[in-house]
Amino acid sequence: MATLELRGLTKVFGATMAVEAFDLDVGDGELVCLLGPSGSGKSTVLRMIGGFETASSGAVLIDGQDVTRMPPERRPTSMMFQSHALWSHMNVAGNIGFGLKLRRLPRAEIARKVEEALTLVGLAGMGERRTDQLSGGQQQRVALARSLVLEPKILLLDEPFASLDQHLRERLREEVRDLQQRLGITMVFVTHGQDEALALADRIVVMRDGRVQQVDRPDRLYRHPETPFVAGFIGQMNLLQVTVAGGRIAHPAFDLDVTATDGPALLAVRPEALELIAGEGAGRLHRVTDFGSHAVTEIDLPGGERIKAMTPEVPAAPPGTPVTIKPLRAHLYRDDRVIWSSDAMSRTSTRAHAHG
Amino acid sequence: MSISVAQDRGRGQTGLLLVLLPVALVATLIIWPIVRAVMDTLIVTGPDGASLSFASYRFFFTDAHSMGNLRITIWTTAVSVSILMAIAIPIAIYLRFVTGRTAAVVQALAIFPLFVPSIILAYAFIRVLGPNGMVDLILGSFGLPRIRSPYLTPWGPVIGFVWDNLPLSVVILMAGLSNVTNNAVEAARDVGAGKFAILFHIILPRIWLSILVATSFVVLGLFSAFTFPYLLGPAAPEMMGPFMLRTFGDVMDPVQARTQAVITFLICAVFGWFYVRSIAKNRARREAA
Repeated sequence: MATLELRGLTKVFGATMAVEAFDLDVGDGELVCLLGPSGSGKSTVLRMIGGFETASSGAVLIDGQDVTRMPPERRPTSMMFQSHALWSHMNVAGNIGFGLKLRRLPRAEIARKVEEALTLVGLAGMGERRTDQLSGGQQQRVALARSLVLEPKILLLDEPFASLDQHLRERLREEVRDLQQRLGITMVFVTHGQDEALALADRIVVMRDGRVQQVDRPDRLYRHPETPFVAGFIGQMNLLQVTVAGGRIAHPAFDLDVTATDGPALLAVRPEALELIAGEGAGRLHRVTDFGSHAVTEIDLPGGERIKAMTPEVPAAPPGTPVTIKPLRAHLYRDDRVIWSSDAMSRTSTRAHAHG
Repeated sequence: MSISVAQDRGRGQTGLLLVLLPVALVATLIIWPIVRAVMDTLIVTGPDGASLSFASYRFFFTDAHSMGNLRITIWTTAVSVSILMAIAIPIAIYLRFVTGRTAAVVQALAIFPLFVPSIILAYAFIRVLGPNGMVDLILGSFGLPRIRSPYLTPWGPVIGFVWDNLPLSVVILMAGLSNVTNNAVEAARDVGAGKFAILFHIILPRIWLSILVATSFVVLGLFSAFTFPYLLGPAAPEMMGPFMLRTFGDVMDPVQARTQAVITFLICAVFGWFYVRSIAKNRARREAA
């Protein structure tokens, strides 16, 4: 049973604000992903939880106990590093049992626990192998076993699968998810891969420039992005600079009724929420890519923007064909926050624009 | 197929030609003089012709003065290497894991003697710690008693050697420490390792080869050292470097001087063999992985 509370966590490196007033509550047995681009501060947050960075201000509480000033060796956390950080001068069993040896457990008990941990990660009987004889995936499994064997209250994972190939990454993240659910362990997982976050997390924290953009369930994050950054970062999104006038967006390629005050705004429409009508309209079909399960069509708009539309079938139209676009769902942003959202097309009307 | 065989043969001959010059140099300038020296110490030419004799070695190992010089050389080497590693390892670890202005100053001070010739270091040592040196002058200006200078004691060469060999040792150890990643240390802290556990279980096992390399360089250098033991330390017993020169030049006994050189060489060769064996074993282990 472990809960994690981060209260106003801030980290300043010289003149750079790496993390600013970060608040988060992680429930017992919950898996939370910190998601963001490089330099967003997600790893710094994780390292502050693990005790590898000292917070400039704020607090880290585990099960209500303040551990902010506690060194990593005394925290009830365990970290899995991106580079797996195995000690190559020790064999697999030596790596996993090192923490137990430091706790002065009897040799027989260490051997038993190491074998249990190896079985848990699917490496039973490989304790005597040298770490450099293992594949990348096996090395990460050893690192996971090394963390799990100490039965930490909270497991911290810092992009642990980033150096693995796509297939292995997917398999390992499924295994980690299964293990997490089986053991009921609280996890904080750092990644810059949105697929990984969407596949793994109970909740996702999207970060940018050391600040939280949005904390939400994966499905809500995808369907209801609260900032233009989240809209653009999670999944594919078409972002168009538009002007609202009299409750309507009059774009050269389409019209859209919105409930928003007049002024410039940013319209976000996902490729799958865009309907295409080929044959007439202000858009010009630029290119179609067939992905087998779906097709992505790129359309050039009169303003010079290029947007993408996802359709189940490949449009039977050559490049240069006039196209009408029809947003089915959209979000409108102003001053870095959402001002209007549409889940259905009931409020939307389209207008075909003759081109030339 | 015949073309590829001919090409392979051509490449092989080119390779042999490339290594011919260094091999010839080593053979003529190192191997042959060693063989000659060993033969000169073992073969005695008398009225009845040449014969095998261990007399010069028997003399060396039964002569108290020669054995005293060998002992002081081994003592100086062992003490210098121990002190050097005790200083160089913490400095290298500090420089590996600490950044900032203080670390830059420490690095500059540790590396500086690398660019100063040994003879200058020896004279600097005499001018600072020797009789009427800078320390004495400072103490005298405050009315304090003079120091008992280590200049002419066996500790004189030890201090000189430590100072002179510190930069190279620190550089070699730092190269080894670059293999110890921050994550490896953090992972150890994460499982509960304190500073000493990290040092003994994570850092030292990863840099033992660098320690061995640094130790080997220092040991081989110290056994053949001349400048420091000539300028610093007692006149008797003396280290093998000046002893060999004196036996050759002053005593005019070239056979005994060669015997001393062969004995010095054999001790160094044992250490060299140990070093090469360790490097080869480590390479074989890496290649097997």
